[in-house]
Amino acid sequence: MVQDTRLIEIKGISKSFGETKVLHEIDLYIRKCEFVTLLGPSGCGKTTLLRILGGFETPDSGTLLFEGTDLLGVPPYRRRINTVFQKYALFSHLNVFDNIAFGLNLKDPEALGAKTRKEKKQEIARRVDRMLKLVKMEGYEKRSIDQLSGGQQQRIAIARALVNEPEVLLLDEPLGALDLKLRKEMQLELKTMQQQLGITFIYVTHDQEEALTMSDTVVVMNGGRIQQIGEPKRIYDEPKNAFVADFIGESNLLDGVMRADFLVEMLGEEFECVDEGFAKDEPVDVVVRPEDVMIVGEDVGMLTGVVESVIFKGVHYEMMVDTGSMRWKVHSTTMQPVGSRVGMSIVPFNIHIMHKGDRP
Amino acid sequence: MRSSRLSRTVKGTYLALVLAFLYVPIVIMIALSFNSSVSRAEWTGFTLSWYEKLVHSDAIIAALEVTLEVAVVATVISTVIGTLGAIGIHAMRKGWATVLINVSYLPMTTPDIVTGVSLMLMFIFMKVPLGKGTMLMAHIAFDTPYVLFSVMPRLQQMNPNLYEAALDLGCHPVKALWKVILPEVMPGVVTGGLLAFTMSLDDFVISYFTSSTDQNLSMIVYSAARRGVEPTMYALSTLMFLAILALLLLINRRSGLESVM
Repeated sequence: MVQDTRLIEIKGISKSFGETKVLHEIDLYIRKCEFVTLLGPSGCGKTTLLRILGGFETPDSGTLLFEGTDLLGVPPYRRRINTVFQKYALFSHLNVFDNIAFGLNLKDPEALGAKTRKEKKQEIARRVDRMLKLVKMEGYEKRSIDQLSGGQQQRIAIARALVNEPEVLLLDEPLGALDLKLRKEMQLELKTMQQQLGITFIYVTHDQEEALTMSDTVVVMNGGRIQQIGEPKRIYDEPKNAFVADFIGESNLLDGVMRADFLVEMLGEEFECVDEGFAKDEPVDVVVRPEDVMIVGEDVGMLTGVVESVIFKGVHYEMMVDTGSMRWKVHSTTMQPVGSRVGMSIVPFNIHIMHKGDRP
Repeated sequence: MRSSRLSRTVKGTYLALVLAFLYVPIVIMIALSFNSSVSRAEWTGFTLSWYEKLVHSDAIIAALEVTLEVAVVATVISTVIGTLGAIGIHAMRKGWATVLINVSYLPMTTPDIVTGVSLMLMFIFMKVPLGKGTMLMAHIAFDTPYVLFSVMPRLQQMNPNLYEAALDLGCHPVKALWKVILPEVMPGVVTGGLLAFTMSLDDFVISYFTSSTDQNLSMIVYSAARRGVEPTMYALSTLMFLAILALLLLINRRSGLESVM
């Protein structure tokens, strides 16, 4: 379980490559045993931040603390952090066993609780064996890397990093190259491994579903800045700005004006909502999730429109409904025929009001 | 139909002519090396006596020793320099790397005679006596780019995260170079070394200008030819041709394997 102690503290970290600033004053702390996901579109700075944690990039300014002591001066080979690289980066001149044993072979025998070289060898064999079991690759010791599929290489890369018993495991889009089914399996396995081993995982991805499935905490990034930090459910239910709302899940984005506390005007009509504390007549962004739009009878709806298209999505239908002033994306388990007029209703709780921010 | 047959005939003839001009002289030379007559005009029977004479000639054995010694030492040194150079250039910023790559290309494109004469002038200017030592230095100089350009492509193809992965798992930078980068580029290093060895083995022009006391095999053939060719030189040339051919076949096989992988 996530502990309260702060393992890593990132304070005011900035980084530029030439003229482009990729990280702006990042502040973030990561707790022990936490599964943190850095989520954002490509070029948002998430990989650069991960590389700074791994020691492969030096920030221009800011501090990085590991258990309260400075980490920036520490080279990668002395950090108690290991990395699973995007393209695995396995050593093709070594077989599976020697890839996993690579880090252990570099250690002193004493560090492995061994007195002689022979004992060290036995201890390494024991630990590699345990890792192969963990990643479900028993019996593959002697295989060469070229003989493995992408998914198997992925497992070896994870084993190679975890065998060193790091405090923190960094994962850079590790499942990006796998097919959907395998990706889903690995997501669950990674989460289980993380809980079993009690290690902090810092995971980089652009896949919002992946982030919501696995993480204790999601850090949404865009344009080198952190947009929102929070638990997956909180981020989904209460996006802090229009970017987060649009990036996480699907949404209908509208311009609105706060007429009073608990009252927002959008599309020329006033709607009841649950937000307060905005200035009177403040322009705001309004987000409504497609699954929160209820299809009702034409005569009782708050809005009426014509169904333009229907797509079957498996569990639900995705319909586009045109009200004249706006095209709404609506998810519903019951299908309305194309061309029919429908009414739509939204409960106040599901109208999310946000201060105007940078839109995607 | 007819025109395609015609064009095929023309193509075939052309190819045959090209190959004939390239290889008939060599085949004739090989044949003559087994001819018992000293004259080139008549075939008087098969003999191995010219090859036997080769082995008993002190001058040729000495030249063989010079050739092999220079080629082996030059190959080892230029392989080390070329490999480290390639790794260094690869790690550099793009601008500087481009400059260095172009500078390294130059010795490969300048005519041997220019390289030979300029090296000779430099050695004379620096008052280094021309001999085996200067020949060796010259060979290292022209061998190194071949190694450099065999290793460079391997480095460019290499996953850039490999070095970082080695650091991540606990290697110091030098150890990472030794344990991960070097094994990764090894096929390029071996190919480069073989190329360098081949270049060294059959070099005449540069060796001729940079050594006056010690002669290698090519220089022996050249000075013998000036006195009037005798069949032992055919035998020697045949052996050199076969040695180089074997090396080139080996290099080709290696690069063929690599492109498959």
